[in-house]
Amino acid sequence: MMGTMRQDFGAAAMALVPRGMDPLYTALSLFRRRKFEDCVTVCTMLLEKNPYDQAAWTLKMRALTEQLYVDEVDVDEEGIAEMLMDDNAIAEVARPGTSLKKPGTSSGGPSPGVRPTSQSGRPLSGFVRPGTQGGRPGTMEQAIRTPRTAHTARPVTSASGRFVRLGTASMLSTPDGPFINLARLNFHKYAARQSLAKPLFEYIFHHENDVRNALELAALATEEAQFKDWWWKVQLAKCYYRLGLFRDAERQLKSALVQQVMVDTYLYLCKVYVRMDQPLTAIEVFSQGLEHFPGEVSLLTGIARIYDGLNDSTNAVKFYKEVLHHDNTHVEAIACIATHHFYTDQPEIALRFFRRLLQMGVYNSELFCNIGLCCFYAQQYDMTLNCFERAIALASDENMADIWYNIGHVALGIGDIALAYQCFKLALASNNDHAESYNNLGVLEWKKGRVEQARAFFQTAQMLAPIMFEPHYNFAALSEKMGDLQSSYIAARKSVESFPEHMDSNSLLKQLKDHFAML
Amino acid sequence: MLVPIFTLKLNHKINTRMLTIGCYDGQHPCLTAATTAGKVFIHNAHNRGIASGRMSVSGENSDISLLNIQQAVSAVSAGKLDPTSNCDSLLVGTQTNLLAYDVINNSDLFYKDTPDGVNAVVVGSLGTVEMPLAVVGGNCAIQGFDLEGNDAFWTVTGDNVCSLALCDFTNDGKMELIVGSEDYDIRVFQDDEIIAEMTETEAITLLCPMMHSRFGYALANGTVGVYDRTARYWRIKSKNQAVAIHAFDLDSDGVPELITGWSNGKIDARSDRTGEVIFKDNFSVSLAGIVEGDYRMDGKTELICCAVDGEVRGYLPASREMKGNLMDTNTEQDAVRELSQRKQNLLLELKNYEENARLTKFFYKGRAAAQSNRPSGLGGLDTGQMGIIPANTQLQTSLTVDPGDEKHPPHVELFVATTNETILRTALIFAEGIFEGESHVVHPNVNNLSSELKVPISPPKDVPVDLHIKAFVGMKGSTQFHVFEITRQLPRFSMYIPCTKLPQEPQGTVTFTVQERVQRVVLWINQNFLLTDEWPAAAPLHFQVVSLRGTGALVIHMESNGQVTIKTDDMDLAGEVIQSLAVFLGIEDLQVTSDFPGYMEELKNILIKVDEFSSVRQKLTAEMADHSNLIRSMVVRAEDARILADWKNMRKYYMELFDLNRDLVNGYKIRCNNHTELLSCLKLVNQAIQRAGRLRVGRPKTVVVNACREAFKTHNIDALFKIMKVGAS
Repeated sequence: MMGTMRQDFGAAAMALVPRGMDPLYTALSLFRRRKFEDCVTVCTMLLEKNPYDQAAWTLKMRALTEQLYVDEVDVDEEGIAEMLMDDNAIAEVARPGTSLKKPGTSSGGPSPGVRPTSQSGRPLSGFVRPGTQGGRPGTMEQAIRTPRTAHTARPVTSASGRFVRLGTASMLSTPDGPFINLARLNFHKYAARQSLAKPLFEYIFHHENDVRNALELAALATEEAQFKDWWWKVQLAKCYYRLGLFRDAERQLKSALVQQVMVDTYLYLCKVYVRMDQPLTAIEVFSQGLEHFPGEVSLLTGIARIYDGLNDSTNAVKFYKEVLHHDNTHVEAIACIATHHFYTDQPEIALRFFRRLLQMGVYNSELFCNIGLCCFYAQQYDMTLNCFERAIALASDENMADIWYNIGHVALGIGDIALAYQCFKLALASNNDHAESYNNLGVLEWKKGRVEQARAFFQTAQMLAPIMFEPHYNFAALSEKMGDLQSSYIAARKSVESFPEHMDSNSLLKQLKDHFAML
Repeated sequence: MLVPIFTLKLNHKINTRMLTIGCYDGQHPCLTAATTAGKVFIHNAHNRGIASGRMSVSGENSDISLLNIQQAVSAVSAGKLDPTSNCDSLLVGTQTNLLAYDVINNSDLFYKDTPDGVNAVVVGSLGTVEMPLAVVGGNCAIQGFDLEGNDAFWTVTGDNVCSLALCDFTNDGKMELIVGSEDYDIRVFQDDEIIAEMTETEAITLLCPMMHSRFGYALANGTVGVYDRTARYWRIKSKNQAVAIHAFDLDSDGVPELITGWSNGKIDARSDRTGEVIFKDNFSVSLAGIVEGDYRMDGKTELICCAVDGEVRGYLPASREMKGNLMDTNTEQDAVRELSQRKQNLLLELKNYEENARLTKFFYKGRAAAQSNRPSGLGGLDTGQMGIIPANTQLQTSLTVDPGDEKHPPHVELFVATTNETILRTALIFAEGIFEGESHVVHPNVNNLSSELKVPISPPKDVPVDLHIKAFVGMKGSTQFHVFEITRQLPRFSMYIPCTKLPQEPQGTVTFTVQERVQRVVLWINQNFLLTDEWPAAAPLHFQVVSLRGTGALVIHMESNGQVTIKTDDMDLAGEVIQSLAVFLGIEDLQVTSDFPGYMEELKNILIKVDEFSSVRQKLTAEMADHSNLIRSMVVRAEDARILADWKNMRKYYMELFDLNRDLVNGYKIRCNNHTELLSCLKLVNQAIQRAGRLRVGRPKTVVVNACREAFKTHNIDALFKIMKVGAS
């Protein structure tokens, strides 16, 4: 039975090789054309004939790796476990503006009254990347609950969860056992042959996702290269980074940079510093990188992202503009600048940037929603509803609630309270954890005089998004009206806590304090 | 009376000796100290009201910020590493790393691996090096890092470094590095050359620069003192340990006093000249550190003392009106007490004289009666009571080498005797570094008192020692004795005995040439060895001795053309001989060729071991990181199960977690052992480099040390051996 199977397999492979063509050459060509599956099939056939064919072996390894290759620099998100259990940052309470951990502490950032915040209290970014959504939850319970309720999937740890999902090799079924049995490999032998060692390392690292073995191979290989090969140092650093040994990673990367300046190495080094919560050091490293690679877009973007993370939107926009200067099709930069303009009350300019995005082929519901909002605030009412219609047409379950919520805003703007009410309800229908809708519904109920309903909505919103100041303030104001001064005081305190400069909350608090003092 | 001008409770434990003060923003001084659980805290009393937003509402302890180091902190220091800015940098050392940290910007300046550990850190400009350096003392090695983290300075020293200080030892305006180490030596480095070595009696735990070339020191046995260059001004010893010393002008006389904090919570200020206490105060627990700074921001520098429980007291220097009278006592009372003490003493003396006079009178009466012919003219009955001894009594001492027998180990014998029939009741010998507690008392039984005493001495190190001998001399049965004081010097190489036939020819050799006559070398031999007869000054010189410590023979051979060959298996001994000889002959630079086959073989094995340990260590680290990742995810999963009330799975996860945790703890133990082994091996390597350095003098010494380091860093073992042999690669 097995014999026939194998023959079939061989036949399938032969079918891929044109008559008179060298099979290895065909495999190489398939690899070039990124037909990795086919390439693997041909290589398997070759290896069947001659198990010691190194060229075929290497090519198969590379093809398998390429299938699963993810850009290590960009794809990275701190897992729940790292976030809660690690103290990689040196300073627990850093000076405002020097830490990514407490983004709200920066002075000069946009006020939450103008620019809404995400679930964690970070101002909304123009571009969703790993890490822009979530903040730092205070407790384990909060951390575990957030990814379930909000639409942000945070991996359990960066070492396990995500890589099982993305590096799907561990999930793929391999018909006759794994291609390479790592436990039987003699790393010393392979480390000595640089041409074999490098693909093998990538295979172990990306395909097998076995960081420990990868590290061992890299350590041997770098020793074999007499610590002179920067590539191995970067790979070592990658392994260390995955294992959470940031200091070791830092050392390797710095040493690699001494030998060879590479954009990639700079990006990695900065990633390490961001993990250690030293944004200013990261910016400095980026600047050093820019000296070697002036105008390098990825480095500039890196700086802009860090400023964004620090809530320093002025500087962030400055660097995003610089990015656009060098690469005028940079989606992230355009989106971030557009968002910045929108929230600094220049919807017309924002509209131009969003239109540029549309021209570049970005065609999704978020963009139409944004354009719709810009049109509305730029008083081009004819376009507004059209855009929102498109947005709804394109929307997925995840962002449907946000779009209905925004339509609700538009409805409020034109004074159609009934429509607004319906929109918010619809938003809740698609996502019943939408705190902003709860808050707005509460306000509408209050307006209608249904105080108990309003209170219930505010309370729900408070519970769902403790970071938002609006439900707290609304609740405080309502309670004060109803005479429940104690609840009012507590809520006002919370409101001030999440937005210290909020005038209304402060004056309410002061009023309550005076009142209590009088008693 | 001086009282603290401020007291604070920081509510954080402070590790002893790990306290510093720095102006991280260039303006506000901040107390910084290591506390429990691998953390460092920074107390910024002036931060309040400056920070906006959430910082200021984080509770009553808002002026303390904690830094996570994640490892046990072993040293903390602050200073200006960047000459262009006026901000201080914080340096935190652990057993494996040194972190230079910019507090105000929350960013690393550099983070360096220090496999030799960090036992002490000082910041400042050193010798001719342009940039300010962070000088780190570890196990046998001293490293200096500049702002970028380049190691601009490296040298080795004899043993683990305990304390470091920068002081202008030579009064030339440039700082020298003073290093106190566990082998009881204080060494002074001018750049990377040792210019002075002082031997103390215990490990030197603390050093502090005072004024000009003066510096204070403290030992592990509770001794505190002050040196001016190589001369010791004074020292005092306490049963408590000094945990902090600092120079501060507390009485405003323009000269800093030595402020000492003790392990029992006392602090005292002593005059740098005499060691007289001019001020003292008490804490309830042990001191942790003493620093100075303008902590109230009023332009005056305060002395700030911190106890381990986080209590802080600040003292302003006394105003001039107090005239240095800082103690909490009444001068008049003091004077009265002192005078009555003197009166007491005088009365006692007077009584003695009266007694004497009475006896003399009695004796004259007796002589008139009995015409006795006693030599010194005293009655036998009375001499006992009076303790009168012949006027020509002398105390004789001699030092001989005793090769020992079955019962006694080999030793140097100190022979003390009187010249006549008087007896030695007690002998008190005071010598640094030979006896435990520095002094030795011989108090023979009353029944076998004699006119001579033998004291075995075995000096542990080859250093010249002054023996201060005090002997009680009297007649048999006297109750009062005369005290004879005598000082005798023990030569440097006292534990060696000449022999004609060697038990075993030493393998190791050192060869060099000196432009000196043989006679001079013979003179040196006669001065530095304990010989019964002077060694004849004949060329060629062939001098053979055997060590009493069991470390083999030493052969010094010198041709008339100045070629010297030293043969011994003990590299340390060869180094000592060469250093001593070079000082005696006034040689400034000396290059030698050396060969120690046995030692080199040993070193080779050690280097192989170092490699092995390093590779194992890397593997263990990766394994541990992997495990801890697993544990983390397991915890999250378990918690998740708990929130979902999925008790079965939660139980399962926690069981697994328990097993994993046990594995991790086991792994940690293995790693710990591996690390200690590695550390001891590295120490041996450093010591080897130091020994190779000590075989040379002056410039070649520095060259050999640096070349060895370079070779070790690049794993070039063959080159390392070659450098050790011929002094260059």
